[in-house]
Amino acid sequence: MAHRTVKPFFKPSRPCAELKLGHRSLYIIPSRFGALWIAAAGLLLLVAIQTGSNSTLLLAFVMLGLMLLAMFLTHDTLQGLTLRCDQPAPAFAGEPALYSLQLDSAAARPRCSLRVQGHAVVDCDRIAAGRATLFLPWVAGHRGWQLPPPVQIETIAPLGLFICWGRWQPQQPQLIWPRRCPGPVAEKQPPRSRDGLEEWQDLRPVREGERPALVDWASAARGRPLQAKLFNDPEEPEVILTPAPGVELELAREHLADRIWRLHHSGACFGLQFQAISLAPSKGVRHRDACLEALATA
Amino acid sequence: MSHQRHVSFLAWCALSPLLLQCLALNWSAPLTWPTWALVFCALFKLRECRRPFDRRLVALLQLVSTGLLAAQLQGLLASVLQLVAVLLALAGLLGHELAGSLGFRGFLQRSLQLLGAALPLALVLFLFVPRLPPLWTTELGPARGAVTGLSPDLDPLSIAELTLVDGSAARVLLPEVQPLPTDAYWRVLVHEQFDGRRWQHRDPHVPRGGSGRPQVGEGTSQWWVVEPSATRAVPWDGSALPTSPDQWITPEGELLVGAASRQRRSFRLRSPEKVAAWQQRPPIPSERQAPPDSLPRLKTLAQQFRGLPTGRERLEAVEGWFRRQPFRYSLQPGAVADLDAFLFDQQVGFCGHYASALAALLRAADVPARVVSGYQGGHVVQPMSGNPYLELRQSDAHAWVELWLEGEGWQRVDPTLWAANSGLPAAAMAAESAQRQGGNVPWWRWLQWQWWGLDLAWTRWWLSFDQSSQQAWLQMLFGVQLRWLGVAIVMGGMAALTAGWLLLHLGLRPRSPLSQSLRLLARWGVVPQQGESFPCVCRRAAKMHPDLATLLEAMADQQQLLAHAPLNPPQRRQHRRQWRQLRSRLAQLR
Repeated sequence: MAHRTVKPFFKPSRPCAELKLGHRSLYIIPSRFGALWIAAAGLLLLVAIQTGSNSTLLLAFVMLGLMLLAMFLTHDTLQGLTLRCDQPAPAFAGEPALYSLQLDSAAARPRCSLRVQGHAVVDCDRIAAGRATLFLPWVAGHRGWQLPPPVQIETIAPLGLFICWGRWQPQQPQLIWPRRCPGPVAEKQPPRSRDGLEEWQDLRPVREGERPALVDWASAARGRPLQAKLFNDPEEPEVILTPAPGVELELAREHLADRIWRLHHSGACFGLQFQAISLAPSKGVRHRDACLEALATA
Repeated sequence: MSHQRHVSFLAWCALSPLLLQCLALNWSAPLTWPTWALVFCALFKLRECRRPFDRRLVALLQLVSTGLLAAQLQGLLASVLQLVAVLLALAGLLGHELAGSLGFRGFLQRSLQLLGAALPLALVLFLFVPRLPPLWTTELGPARGAVTGLSPDLDPLSIAELTLVDGSAARVLLPEVQPLPTDAYWRVLVHEQFDGRRWQHRDPHVPRGGSGRPQVGEGTSQWWVVEPSATRAVPWDGSALPTSPDQWITPEGELLVGAASRQRRSFRLRSPEKVAAWQQRPPIPSERQAPPDSLPRLKTLAQQFRGLPTGRERLEAVEGWFRRQPFRYSLQPGAVADLDAFLFDQQVGFCGHYASALAALLRAADVPARVVSGYQGGHVVQPMSGNPYLELRQSDAHAWVELWLEGEGWQRVDPTLWAANSGLPAAAMAAESAQRQGGNVPWWRWLQWQWWGLDLAWTRWWLSFDQSSQQAWLQMLFGVQLRWLGVAIVMGGMAALTAGWLLLHLGLRPRSPLSQSLRLLARWGVVPQQGESFPCVCRRAAKMHPDLATLLEAMADQQQLLAHAPLNPPQRRQHRRQWRQLRSRLAQLR
């Protein structure tokens, strides 16, 4: 579906966790092709009057009937569709983020497109009956818990004669980490403890024949799948990242975010001291995310 | 990308019937060029489609082309092709937006459903919205083109051998109460200018906007279909009345219909109630003009009759003279130098010779006369599809004479009947008798007759619904309450639109046994929950309705078998049937 820009007539309602599209939330106007269609029907009507042709006259009226029917059909394509907030994954500021949401539909629906206002369009060729999860790209300018701009859903199916659209301001904010920017970062060596087996750093799926002592029973009790603890290698080098002296605080966040990302991908063990927050050296996705969240929200 | 191929294939398919009809258009008609241009635009646009909008535009161009073709080709076959083109264009249009969810057959089915849903509203508008006359006078019919048929100039002396063409000239469907006449004279052209050799037809003055006085009201109708011909005049019985503003009767007694003589014309006439006005119009000077001096023997013979007091007596004297001469009818008379040679030397010819000679002789005897060409006879065809009709062929073409008798008006005389071997063309008579016996009819001819029967029925019920028919119909429906027509149109339109939407809504409901079963359970208040299987839903329903537990369990078993068991097609059909039976039993019990 081509990227169309329907200028919204109304602001979306206040943020909400879910929106069931209906008469109060859907707008519809003839498309450019619809205007051409009406002009063509008018032309045929004129030819029918001049020639006295019944078939041409009936075709002109059929086209008019199709236009009116298309209005209802296009509206029906979206009516009853429920948009729900999902838990979007964090992303860096200034980089493409994916805002996830769920579509609930009682019946299969033809093609429609969604986009976060001002960003790229995502086309759904066919919405199957049931629940579907969708990821809408957008770019956040600032760190922290951010709400994306309103989400717009639109369709021209089945005949392309009308554009029907709805706008929704999701309630679920997305965590946006600071922008990544290479730069100076101060590093400190942490005091080494000799009990590397006391604290686990990350989790992995349980393997066959795993020792029960390694299983994270606490999370299993909360209903999560069984996972085994990953422990630090006591011989591994560790660093604690802090902002470089003399660097403006916001820029320091960006340098730290970049360094944390690269250290995580190199498999290094790192900690973070930033303002009042102190995170002990560790590894793994959860630790990385905790450090970046601290940078984003502190 | 297979769905894209489907869509392209549908668009190409829609072009085929359009191109086929374009070939049948007359190049001299003004609407032909825009039609060709639109079809070619659609074709080239389809070749270089890049964006979805381009593809939708192709479908719209195809629909507009179909509309223009419908204005020019109105026969049954053309209408069928137009319907196919609309169906395919609409299916192609749907294909762009419903891509991936339907196959080729699905698009066609959805297209048919959409057309069916739009039809109620279209018919309400078609039947009730008052027709407008043409906004300005246009000659939208072709002006030139090679066609067969009667010629405006009658020059029998230059025809050494007359070949009978067996093509159809016209077909007429008469009211049931009226027997089909197989010996009637159907007049077309009046030739009143004679130069000693040829009888020429003078183009009549046509009033702008036609007769302007369509005859609306009671009375039985004749439905005509006339094949393309070189003249604007069409066959008629000389007494019927026009029914629409584009039909008018000239003072000479010719019936003109529309402006487009080079395409097939369909029209309706009303049976007469009184003597036609043209029969009482006194002769004009050109109808009294004596033959030139190049025919001395004809003039000498005419001198014998001039002395008789009345036109009737002169006619009887001329007839007597003709019958005493050994005239013979022949389609191969050979070269004839002039009318003197025909009357006094060769005395062999066909209808043109006889009519030409008699009219000249009467004029020389001071009786106003003119030659009329048209058709004589025709034969009855009884199609399986309905009412019998009369078919006029080119071989039924005939010429006769009209003369002015004081107190009686213009009277028809057929001098061909005075020939020794009686006038009708021999070949036509032979064909006529063969058809009457029902034998020797080739199969293709029989099929053609059946098709023409359908075509006439189409003409009668569809093409004849014109402005005057609509006015009569609305008058009958509303009577004096015609001012409520606008309200009726709005209300009827809304009802039709609702009906169309409901039809579509019911038509688009999923028809799989699972969907239908879930709908049935939903009516009982049992709605599937997230992640719940069909057997689970059935078990929940069984708890609510223990008396139906057995049937519900059996239905769940059928679904499980169809979903998971390795079944061959006959077994699959059998289980589907059992599932359907269980569902209908459940529906009856609740």
